[in-house]
Amino acid sequence: MISCTEFIPAYSELFKFLEQKGGKAAVVSFWEHLSDSFLNNLRNIATQKGLAGCFEYWSHTLSEEAADFKMMLDEENQIFTIEMRSCPSKGRLLERKDIKPYHVYCEHCDILYRRVLEPLGFEYNIDLSNCDKASCKLVVRRK
Amino acid sequence: MSPKNNIRILELNSSDNEYLHKDFHGALCYGIKYLDQTYGQDTTAEYLKQVGRETFSPIIAALKKEGLITLERHFKQIFELENGEAEFKCEDNCLVIKVSKCPAIAHLKSKGQLFTDRYCETTVNVNTAICHAAGYQCSCEYKPGEGKCVQKFWKKDDTK
Repeated sequence: MISCTEFIPAYSELFKFLEQKGGKAAVVSFWEHLSDSFLNNLRNIATQKGLAGCFEYWSHTLSEEAADFKMMLDEENQIFTIEMRSCPSKGRLLERKDIKPYHVYCEHCDILYRRVLEPLGFEYNIDLSNCDKASCKLVVRRK
Repeated sequence: MSPKNNIRILELNSSDNEYLHKDFHGALCYGIKYLDQTYGQDTTAEYLKQVGRETFSPIIAALKKEGLITLERHFKQIFELENGEAEFKCEDNCLVIKVSKCPAIAHLKSKGQLFTDRYCETTVNVNTAICHAAGYQCSCEYKPGEGKCVQKFWKKDDTK
């Protein structure tokens, strides 16, 4: 068994492995599959509760992942943001000097969650320009 | 959490919580199923062995240097952290781990998440790759879905 605390390096390795097999297209296909099949919990709660559901979903996951972040839900203006100051996944990969993270590791967060939220009527934007520092910013708006 | 003028804020530091997101077991399960269905079981085994070689290099180095105590320490730590149940016995240069409650399978089943009978191949292949790289051998007997298995580890020249 791989512990859940050891999963992220295995996840990054999966992206590298898929790219070796079929280029980046193979990685993106997997991300799309994972989004469609695995993220039903986010899909369901965002369908039922809108941006408040997003707040609830990420409150749970980011707490369990011991992330360093600030999350805001502006219900009046229908904006949900996550300022990720230290992403636990990318941060752990960067800490490991013996492994090289998948070169566009953070792009999975763009594809996985965009694919859930945009069909539900949300505008999804993620700024990954600081992901080499394990930081990013997510903004989700009701269209 | 602080609601203010219809604005909800949650701000946490890394030190506020323990790093333990068990749903990652589910993501790995989907990964294994996807590889099996898209590329075949041999490719899944190839991936899991790559994980063993590439991401467990500190364990491989420690196993070479310190021997089986490395694996005993590593797995005890995991089972304690994830609330699993296992008996550890190291005799005649052979480490035997009898798992009576696999925490990953227990979590997947308790949450009603996807469980593939092939999930335990993670243990088989990752352990094999670690042992092969360090000059050890291993076996893993399991019945799919039971969350129980017997894992054995021994040095390559020894017969078990």
